[in-house]
Amino acid sequence: MEGLNFESAMARLEEIVEQLESGELSLESSLAIFEEGVRLSLYCQQELEKTDGKVQRLLRKLNGEFALEDMEA
Amino acid sequence: MQEYITVSMLNAYISRLFDQDEFLQEFWLKGELSGFRFYKQSGHSYFSLKDKDATINCVMFKSRMHTVNFQPEDGMEVLLRGYVSVYARQGKYQVYVEEMIPYGTGSLFLYLEKLKARLAEQGYFDAARKREIPRIVNRIGVVTSQDGAALQDILRVIRQRHPGAQVIVAHSSVQGSEAPRELAAGVRMLNEHGLAEVIIMARGGGSLEDLMAFNSEQVVQAVYTSKIPVISAVGHEVDVTFCDLVADLRAATPTQAAQFAVPDYTAVQKHRDELTLRMNRCMQRLLANRLERLDRCLMRKVWTQPQGVAKKQADRLTSCQQRLGAAMLEKVKNDRHRFALTAQGLDNMSPLKVLARGYAIATVEGAVVRRIDEVSEGDLLNIEMIDGRLTAVIEGKEKIERWKG
Repeated sequence: MEGLNFESAMARLEEIVEQLESGELSLESSLAIFEEGVRLSLYCQQELEKTDGKVQRLLRKLNGEFALEDMEA
Repeated sequence: MQEYITVSMLNAYISRLFDQDEFLQEFWLKGELSGFRFYKQSGHSYFSLKDKDATINCVMFKSRMHTVNFQPEDGMEVLLRGYVSVYARQGKYQVYVEEMIPYGTGSLFLYLEKLKARLAEQGYFDAARKREIPRIVNRIGVVTSQDGAALQDILRVIRQRHPGAQVIVAHSSVQGSEAPRELAAGVRMLNEHGLAEVIIMARGGGSLEDLMAFNSEQVVQAVYTSKIPVISAVGHEVDVTFCDLVADLRAATPTQAAQFAVPDYTAVQKHRDELTLRMNRCMQRLLANRLERLDRCLMRKVWTQPQGVAKKQADRLTSCQQRLGAAMLEKVKNDRHRFALTAQGLDNMSPLKVLARGYAIATVEGAVVRRIDEVSEGDLLNIEMIDGRLTAVIEGKEKIERWKG
């Protein structure tokens, strides 16, 4: 799923549902995009649960590197 | 002998110190004008700026004078933007003035209007270049004071709408002379760090002076060059700072900025679930109808009684044969019948039949005589009978009217 971000995954999922509901596709192509849809749906679910809800302060250390310091907000 | 340095070495060193100090590179300075002198030949102006405790020398070169849209007089309170450098030959440091405006709210508006016009003309506020805020955001950068109420409002909204979101705070003072530099640095740092998908510049309400930092060219420049879309929420709803104008999206309050930045995740979750449901249901319907078509097809007799097919063909075959047979019989019968008729017809016509009935046929040299005028008296005549031939000589002939032909 490289190069895929949440937004494009959702957009593609919407497209697939429209195509399936149009009913114009052959059985084979319906099955193919259905399979893609299932993968996308799973990916989106993981993305929704993935990010950890932290609040951090971005600092630049003396050596110029970045540091993220947890903030008790 | 004591180790020593020369005057120029000392002055050069001091000058380098001044040039390396970041703060001295640009700042806003307020003070009272005194000793203002404008030199016509060079076009430069020299004056000093003082407050009740101290004074400092200033120079404004000709090239910068065009930015002064008022007549400077001693005793005026002014606000000037400039930097400090050392004039090595005399070992004196002075302020090199880039811009000067009269100080006091009146002049501030004037100054802001002028700056706004210039920035607008340079395209900083063009609507066309404003970018869309991504629909799905998981990492939000915030440039504000870490102790301010604005940050609290933002965090509260984000936690509510998207508990999983990650917030990266670039702390910066939001007023005072350090604010412009820190705000600009905050935006650049977030850009360099690159993790944030959107940046919120936020500050609570305040007076015009309090918000001045968000009008500074440094902040406008930093937001303008930010690769990450910026949402700006500075001051009360009624206040509009240049930061708001250059940002990709202006929010009336920090709370609204957070709402713009982060989608309501429960809604996104619901949308995803709904799409998945529709997809599954649609697939099931599709498969069901294909199966049904298959069943309907299989139910047909041709499958349930396969021998039926053969039988049907066999039936067709036998019926063809029967019809063939019947047709042949019919044909034969007809032919026989026709044959009999023609034979009959022929038979009737047959001379033998005629002779059998007692008639005779008169012929001359083989040709049948039909009319009496075909012969004349004395001619030799053959008379064909059923059982033989007579020969005779014509002695007389007589026309008789037998038949009204």
